[in-house]
Amino acid sequence: MPNVSPALSRATPLPRRGLERLDLMLLCAEALDLNGGEAMVWMSEQLGYQSLFPNRVELWKRRCHNPLRRNTRRGQLQVEDTDALIRILTAMAERLYPMLRQLLSAAEPAAVSEQRWALFRSRLQELIQERLNLRRVGVRKLLDPIEGPQLCHQMILSLALSAGTGGGDRLKASLLDPEA
Amino acid sequence: MNKISLRYEQISCRLTVEGLPDVSTGQGGQAIGILTGWGLALAGHTELEGKREHLEALLQVVVPYARHLISGAPRPFGDLDNPVAIHPDGPSHRLELRSSQPNTPPLTLQLDDAELADLVRCLDQLRLDSRLQLPLQTPPPQPLKRSELRRRVPLGRRVAAPLCGLAALGLAGAVSWMVPTPKPGSFSPSQGQRKGADAALGKAAATKPPANPAPSGQASANPANATSANATSGSAQAQRGQSPTPAPGGTPR
Repeated sequence: MPNVSPALSRATPLPRRGLERLDLMLLCAEALDLNGGEAMVWMSEQLGYQSLFPNRVELWKRRCHNPLRRNTRRGQLQVEDTDALIRILTAMAERLYPMLRQLLSAAEPAAVSEQRWALFRSRLQELIQERLNLRRVGVRKLLDPIEGPQLCHQMILSLALSAGTGGGDRLKASLLDPEA
Repeated sequence: MNKISLRYEQISCRLTVEGLPDVSTGQGGQAIGILTGWGLALAGHTELEGKREHLEALLQVVVPYARHLISGAPRPFGDLDNPVAIHPDGPSHRLELRSSQPNTPPLTLQLDDAELADLVRCLDQLRLDSRLQLPLQTPPPQPLKRSELRRRVPLGRRVAAPLCGLAALGLAGAVSWMVPTPKPGSFSPSQGQRKGADAALGKAAATKPPANPAPSGQASANPANATSANATSGSAQAQRGQSPTPAPGGTPR
């Protein structure tokens, strides 16, 4: 039987860092899937979040609570909103799992794997430059040629581990981590 | 009674659980209440089999490891008494399975990120399957502690700030120690200035006596003027860096 941690059962809002990571992981899902934005809206409808996100603008407004965004929104995001975003992300990760696995596998030929990573990083960089505030240190780290690939690998691994039935709780617990 | 077999599959991992429904608790159909055996087949590795304790040990080690890994703070799980242990090993993960037989070396499996993700997904499916009516103990996912998260920052970066602070403190202490402290009584600026001023005024008085020496009664007749004059000259002298000592012959010049 699944046992849920008291920290997760409480309605605790995500900290600032958790919001950043959640939106960045959604951005990674968009970079993996060319039609990721549409897929996200479709997924929210499939999961029954039409009352929370009746259209793509509402979904975008929730995601704009990420402090790294170019047009960031102030205020605390409601717990039901973050829970819905986490659920959408895990469903997207489940759908994209074969691609995530290909990126993470060491059994793939090195040249092919490097090509896949390069393609993913270039798409992610385009999205970052389009939507995030490039003056922020966290964003600069993502675009850094040394630190960027490590952070990308960590986000892809987090997406792979958050896919599936138990991944949602694991991801939520991770997003509730305190600031180090 | 027929055995029930449940299978959880991913690309590189297949977990099979066999058992029977526990009729004494009213279970029936496809539920497993008594585990008779389980097997784990990882692509390219030996197939593993074990008892319920081994499956529980695997769950108690791999699921928390994945929890730490998703936060980017991997750490080893499973001590020497535990039949299963997992450690981060560079870009991969080392899964150790220790046999209960004496003098048997542990079986080590090197898993990459994709294989570990497959294994975690299989174990998640197993522990959340409603058909498996076994009380398998797994730690619930919860936020990590601050101290656990600090490990993901490299040691050099963690100690750089305190070391810089200590170095700056030491440097400031050394500089302040090198500045000589004045000895008591060796130098008194007011005394030195007074001596110099007295000598200068005495010389002037000897060479040029005052033209209109004020009568002794005049000063006492108008003490306010004298006081203000003294005060004025005193402030003027103070501005010139001299002590406000009145001239010996009358009003100060």
